[in-house]
Amino acid sequence: MSQALYRKWRPRLWDEVIGQDQVVKTLQNAIRGERVGHAYLFAGPRGTGKTTTARLLAKAVNCLSEDPANRPCDVCENCRAVNENRFLDLIEIDAASNTSVDDMRDLRDKINFSPSQGKYKVYIIDEVHMLSTAAFNALLKTLEEPPAHAIFILATTEIHKIPATVLSRCQRHEFRRIPVPEITGNLRKLADGEKIGVDDDALTLIARQSTGSMRDAISLLDQLSSTGEHVNLALTQTVLGTAALQAVVDLVDALIAEDRAGGLQIIHNALDGGSDARQLARQTVDYLRNLLQVRVGNEKIVDATIENREKMALQAQKFTIARLVETIRLFNAAAGETRSTWNPGLHLELAIIASIEAAHPPVQAAVQPAESEVNLRDMKMPEFQAPSHPVNRTVEPSAVMKTSREVSASSQSGIKTTPVPQNPTGKPLSGLSAAPESSEQPAEASTTPGTNSLTMEELQKAWPQIRSTVKKAKAQTDALLLSAKKISLEGNRLILTFASDIVKQKMENDDNMEMTRRAIYHVTKANLQIVCTVAGAKTAKTDRGEIAREGLLDAALSLGGQIKKD
Amino acid sequence: MSWEIMGHEWAVHLLSEHIRSGRVRHAYLFTGPAGVGKRTLALKFAQALLCTQPPAPGEFCGECRPCKQTVLQQFSDLTILQAETIGGEMKVDAVRELQHTLSLTPFEADRRVAVLLRFQEANENAQNALLKTLEEAPGKSILLLTADTAENLLPTIVSRCELLRLRPLSVEHLASDLTQRQAIPAPDALSLARISGGRPGIAIRLNSDSNLNSNRKQWMDHLLGLLPETLAQRFDFVEKQVKIRNSTKEERDLLRMRLREGFIFWQSLWRDVMLQVTGLGDEIANVDYRTQIEQLASKVNENEAARQINLLETTSSRLGSANIQLLIEALVMNLPTVQL
Repeated sequence: MSQALYRKWRPRLWDEVIGQDQVVKTLQNAIRGERVGHAYLFAGPRGTGKTTTARLLAKAVNCLSEDPANRPCDVCENCRAVNENRFLDLIEIDAASNTSVDDMRDLRDKINFSPSQGKYKVYIIDEVHMLSTAAFNALLKTLEEPPAHAIFILATTEIHKIPATVLSRCQRHEFRRIPVPEITGNLRKLADGEKIGVDDDALTLIARQSTGSMRDAISLLDQLSSTGEHVNLALTQTVLGTAALQAVVDLVDALIAEDRAGGLQIIHNALDGGSDARQLARQTVDYLRNLLQVRVGNEKIVDATIENREKMALQAQKFTIARLVETIRLFNAAAGETRSTWNPGLHLELAIIASIEAAHPPVQAAVQPAESEVNLRDMKMPEFQAPSHPVNRTVEPSAVMKTSREVSASSQSGIKTTPVPQNPTGKPLSGLSAAPESSEQPAEASTTPGTNSLTMEELQKAWPQIRSTVKKAKAQTDALLLSAKKISLEGNRLILTFASDIVKQKMENDDNMEMTRRAIYHVTKANLQIVCTVAGAKTAKTDRGEIAREGLLDAALSLGGQIKKD
Repeated sequence: MSWEIMGHEWAVHLLSEHIRSGRVRHAYLFTGPAGVGKRTLALKFAQALLCTQPPAPGEFCGECRPCKQTVLQQFSDLTILQAETIGGEMKVDAVRELQHTLSLTPFEADRRVAVLLRFQEANENAQNALLKTLEEAPGKSILLLTADTAENLLPTIVSRCELLRLRPLSVEHLASDLTQRQAIPAPDALSLARISGGRPGIAIRLNSDSNLNSNRKQWMDHLLGLLPETLAQRFDFVEKQVKIRNSTKEERDLLRMRLREGFIFWQSLWRDVMLQVTGLGDEIANVDYRTQIEQLASKVNENEAARQINLLETTSSRLGSANIQLLIEALVMNLPTVQL
């Protein structure tokens, strides 16, 4: 069994540590000035060099070299002992396996013995975030004032789990993700040292894939080279499951063209060709992110060839920034999705469907009418005629009147602020302004027979269809309808009861009420007036459900009960 | 004897090359959806590692005692570790015990192999406890981990393993493999491959386990039957299906498992509707329900289908903690009303 490359190539000298100059400089200076602290905390993402640096530091403080600037020398007896894992005064503790307070007490008991081989006893506590609270607390005093011969180095990937009392006792060093060029540089050096044949573009892909973690990058290279073949881009793509860039470009084209079938087909082909769904999602996010950079005028930082750059510029122009952001969000969610995975491509497929749906804000849908769907906006329908019953029969006449007026005001302003031509075919939403006005007339105009009569039963039956009709025209309206706590019918007035004033006002804004009215007319041919009210907080809770059909009140009414109002 | 694994040629090639060139790593992680062949591959690899008379380097004979015992998972130097039940939890004690076992010298083979199955079920402490062992495994031990996705594990675990992401096979590939190796007639093999979504394990189970297939049909019929029904009828259905009153913990666990399985079938049906609506009717998985899917596709749009898939996903992920009956009621309430 051979040693993994990342273990074999662990840096043995300060110069070999990649991409952590700020940490290395500080530590080197401390060694040079012989001002090494007694407790260090190394934090940073995986594979950025925490354990490596900790071991280097341990080596440096115990190095026998005359010149402090030259430590660790990697040739003296102590350095060699550390390299070979047989240095007695380097004590590496796996905090994840030794989490308990007893382990820390044990450490505390032994720390007072002076070092046996070197000058300092160095305790490296790796994965320190896993220590229990009691264990941390047991360590506090020792950490604050350890014996002169002891140095603590704590290393963790999850700094937020470390108690503040521990943080304040340590010199804290943050390790950063290693940039792609430095990773490729190091990989190249390593590949030459190991006599691994590898292409530059494969190295770049590996470096990108490892998201700043040197261990990931070396492991990948190790894995790819393990067959002994020459590592080229194609092999790297197969093992990583990354798709060719072309698939991603095509996918984005399909998104622009809003071609759902095409988009799904591209995914299926890529997955059948051996790509990994999550990788594909990630690549898409990467690409879209680049498009976003181009879109906001940041072309310079995008790393791409000239042809790709031109294509990107073209594609970027077809997106609004808002849509790009939304699409990135959706695909990113697909890439990070960890829930059930019976079909790895599913989340990607859903992302495509959702992002194309998101590209259709309902107002624009009116401009490009969807095929074979009812277009509520263009629908010809009679204006609402008049209230069918006198004002004095309503529950709270003043409230209703007020509501109607609000409707008229808000819907008119809604039209003004909507720049999109509401109606290309010529029949505008004239009902909007006319209807409420007419409803304010106290006159008892008779209902037009046949068009306005609708029983609760019929409404209940038609309700799902009404909802879906509304939803196709404007999803927001449908959502508002869903949140109605109670829907009731009084003559030809449909009363929507909402739990709070906020929802009610939303319903009254824009053309929500008009859309609902039209949908009801479309489905049932009944022309209803719609009134929104706010439920009393107490009754609202009991009146759940779309239509309180099987509610207590309904039952009581059907048994002959009557509603009395003071 | 070759490995005889359906698909994953690149992975088999890679692993046998590792053995052949003597560059076996100390830790491997196999990821992929259920039924894709992670466990099978891990065990074959273990067999190749432990075989005493390999016919060629990187292969195994299948005749020697270690080979036979490995297949039965009884070999002394092979440790298999998994949560007690599917969907259960792997605890830190199990990992510590494993660490102890690995620290001993191998009993008869020249190395110890530990296979940790469904490692995503290991809790955080257990995963952390394994970190150091994974990084620098004692002496001659080799750890093979399987998990559904690498993203469900601690990143520190993943970066210490050699990661092999197994992917579902393409439908054609799986169908031809099924025909050749399992002697399943070609048309059946194709539909099995589609229904299983390219996962050999599921395809084989669907074929051999008649229960699974009849379960699938039952779930499909449930869903199609629910669509035209009123709320009251739907609640009735839940009442009948989900009996949790006075149930024992085992019964509830069983119910959860049944529901998880059923939701996957439902999701695949909605996915088919989604494909059908967008015009990819040729690719649907449940070919035996084609007429119903076409009907459904004419009534609902792709966004609704996508919404249903998401709902099922959310419900499935909440099964472990929430009141089952409430969850299912909420789920059926949200089904669209469609007259088929």
